[in-house]
Amino acid sequence: MNKSDDSAATPPRRDIKALVNAGLKRRHAAERRFRWYGLTAISLGLAFVVLMFANIIGKGYPAFWQTYIELPITFDAAVIDPAGTRDPETLANADYAALIRASLRGLFPQVEGRRDLRALYGLISSNAPHRLRGEILADPALIGTTQVIQVLASAEVDTLVKGNINRALDESLRPISDQEIAWIDQLTADGRLTKRFNTILFSNGDSREPEQAGIRGALMGSFYTLLITFLLSFPIGVASAVYLEEFAPKNRWTDLIEVNINNLAAVPSIVFGLLGLAVFINFFGLPRSAPLVGGLVLSLMTLPVIIIAGRAALTSVPPSIREAALGMGASKLQMVSHHVLPLAMPGMLTGSIIGMARALGESAPLLMIGMVAFIVDVPRGFTDPATVLPVQIYLWADLPERAFVERTSAAIMVLLGFMILMNGLAIVLRKRFERRW
Amino acid sequence: MPISHDAHTVKQFDAQLANLRNLVLEMGGLVEDQIKNAVKSLDDEDLTLAREVIARDQIINGLQVKIDEDTITLIATRQPVGSDLRLIMSLSKAVTDLERIGDEAEKIARMTIKTYDVVSSPPSAKLLRDVTPMAKLATDMLHGCLDALARVDVEMAVNVARGDDNLDQEFQSALRRLITYMMEDPRTIGHAISVLFIIKALERIGDHAKNIAEYIIYLVKGKDVRHVSMDTLEKDALAE
Amino acid sequence: MNTTTIETKTALDGAVNPDVREAPLSSAQITDYDHRQTVGRITADNPKMACREVNVYYSEKHALRQVSLDIGANEVIAFIGPSGCGKSTFLRCLNRMNDTIVSCRITGHIQLDQDNIYDKSIDVVQLRARVGMVFQKPNPFPKSIYENVAYGPRIHGMINGKAELDELVYASLERAGLIKEVEKRMDEPGTSLSGGQQQRLCIARAIAVNPEVILMDEPCSALDPIATAKIEELIDELRENYTIVIVTHSMQQAARVSQRTAYFHLGDLIEVGETDQIFTNPRHKLTEDYITGRFG
Repeated sequence: MNKSDDSAATPPRRDIKALVNAGLKRRHAAERRFRWYGLTAISLGLAFVVLMFANIIGKGYPAFWQTYIELPITFDAAVIDPAGTRDPETLANADYAALIRASLRGLFPQVEGRRDLRALYGLISSNAPHRLRGEILADPALIGTTQVIQVLASAEVDTLVKGNINRALDESLRPISDQEIAWIDQLTADGRLTKRFNTILFSNGDSREPEQAGIRGALMGSFYTLLITFLLSFPIGVASAVYLEEFAPKNRWTDLIEVNINNLAAVPSIVFGLLGLAVFINFFGLPRSAPLVGGLVLSLMTLPVIIIAGRAALTSVPPSIREAALGMGASKLQMVSHHVLPLAMPGMLTGSIIGMARALGESAPLLMIGMVAFIVDVPRGFTDPATVLPVQIYLWADLPERAFVERTSAAIMVLLGFMILMNGLAIVLRKRFERRW
Repeated sequence: MPISHDAHTVKQFDAQLANLRNLVLEMGGLVEDQIKNAVKSLDDEDLTLAREVIARDQIINGLQVKIDEDTITLIATRQPVGSDLRLIMSLSKAVTDLERIGDEAEKIARMTIKTYDVVSSPPSAKLLRDVTPMAKLATDMLHGCLDALARVDVEMAVNVARGDDNLDQEFQSALRRLITYMMEDPRTIGHAISVLFIIKALERIGDHAKNIAEYIIYLVKGKDVRHVSMDTLEKDALAE
Repeated sequence: MNTTTIETKTALDGAVNPDVREAPLSSAQITDYDHRQTVGRITADNPKMACREVNVYYSEKHALRQVSLDIGANEVIAFIGPSGCGKSTFLRCLNRMNDTIVSCRITGHIQLDQDNIYDKSIDVVQLRARVGMVFQKPNPFPKSIYENVAYGPRIHGMINGKAELDELVYASLERAGLIKEVEKRMDEPGTSLSGGQQQRLCIARAIAVNPEVILMDEPCSALDPIATAKIEELIDELRENYTIVIVTHSMQQAARVSQRTAYFHLGDLIEVGETDQIFTNPRHKLTEDYITGRFG
């Protein structure tokens, strides 16, 4: 009917080709420009990432190697076990430090005077006697023999060997004296200094001595905390998402809840820490610094993320599947549990893992509930005092010793490694279980 | 129910349907001329005109073939339903009847030639007395049904159908008269038989026109009124 | 001919007291039932389902107005009409699929045999086992072909033991004309089949629970002509055992598969009649305009 109107409205034909050609150059230029903007932005971002990684890895890499000094130790029976009973108690309480001192004196007979001797003994880490005791307790037959034992060097020796102390500086400005440098050089020349993989970093808890400080305590703390977080937030999050998406009536109340969940996801994490402090510690009287409380707090923080991710995963299940199930006479619960949930699960897991990765990197709320304490012991349960990796990093970053700087970076590398692992797991899960319909 | 006069969404379909209908009406017009000319050739003893009528039947036959092709194309491409289907089927059937009417006209023309192309004396006027009024009735019926088809008018179609009874009665009385003449004077038998063929042709034209009228009623009302009494036909056709 | 009892004018939105039921109408009254709008005979000789004065509202929108229609046993009835005319809405009333839509409100009376399907005593799960559904887009579960068909019997607890289930699954696939194509690949996912096979799998899935009525919502709209032809052939075979209601946009399809056709327009049931009558001589102008393509 209005066909004639249409044809009347058609503008007179002009030379379209010429018109288009005229503007073509400008269009192409705009496109090139836009592409260039994008490339610049991405390169800039990448450059910063590379810089950050280079910095962290460059600083942290040496921390995975630790200097040891080979000492010929004579396990003198008179020092260790004068009575000759081989009683384990006697063996445990013997003065192993004296053996080390004797060995050092043997290596550097020219050193005299208490001050110099103390400096000489200072080359060896204070944990070395424990090492000797360990050897003897394991094999008492060693008593009376002389063995070449690799003992842990002190942090200053380690730092110097790694080249992190500028020898050109004035003596008073460095943590290590000319004399000590001379001894270390002699030990190096004798081939008594060896570098080995730093297992202490992974097996020890925190320590005031850098060479003895490790992240195991923080790792276990993180593990227990995240376990609590996962055990709480995943089932609750999935259940909430399923209820809100599939069962809840759509009314003002559910709208309100939805808005609040979205807002919760944006609440600064430290607020959750304050909440945890007020509710879990002050009101319920749960222990401070415990992974249990940390896990509870992080659950609160992670829940909104999991619920939102879960709901997104549920909405992405095509309605045709729901209709098919309902049309077959499945009840609503059967529809959800037989069809919708299995299809949404990869998405939910992915969301949860990413939420967990965020929780792993979180430190602020944990500061509020006392997980920032200096804790030497590796936690053995959910109520032991503990700290977590990011907090450990924060603590170490505060310490002045040069050796802690590299340990801080090493801990960051471990943390980043776990993050990448978790995100990778999320991707693998998604790819693996993603189904086509 | 009523035939929709709204346009199809596919405009080309409208154009094709209109084209088909125009072809049929054009064919109807040609057929009408043929009958008039055939009867005229008889009246005027015009043998040239009669030959012309015979020759022009080929045009009508050609039109029939063309219309049939178009119909098949329409059915194959548009899958018509409802009133479109009824229209196409009615037109298709009407074409067959029109072609037969054309054949009857040709038959009359041949009879004209047979009657006047011989050395013997022409038939007496009284033998031909019934031809003119019957020809008038037949052409009126054909004209009426073509009009009804052009206007899709049920009432006109009913009138045409009603007219067939008149024509049949005329034919019966003419037949009786011819028999009387033949019994009175056996020499007239030759001409009388020719005239008999002519009035039989005219009677057949009426039947075909009635058929077309019935198709129009089917087209409009969707009721098949073939082989029913005139009363039923009228009731079905004029019922709302 | 079954004498059916049908109550009319019974409000259904849960407010009905099931004890207070109006006296059933006589069958003569039912035949005489004439709606102010619908042209044609809405009753069936042997009704499987009977709908009276069904209204559907989506929030404020009156999506279906006063629809009354019988669906005869073992007949294929087609619903046609332009988009948004309410045909799918009406179809979904027949197995209460509209229940899932929160804003949807339904009044009127729909009866399956002797049961008012909107009665409180009727569980929707039981209803859907009796009134199966096949959807527009083939929607097999992302499970194996076997599991797809076995799902319904399983959730309804219709079988005892693996052997019985196997038999039922094979029989259903057989009836859906799919067995030859999938016999060797029962463990492959249902989604690996072609579109037409998927739709036949959905039909097999629906008939596995042995429903009385099968609703089909444009079952061939996503399929090519060959697959469509196979489904149409299947519908014709299924008619022996089931009552089939099919919504379709293809008028040729409605003409081919159905015995009765109902034309919907903007929420009204305009005309219902024998399919051959609807397609050769529709009585309502709207029907005529729609089927001949004169719309709008």
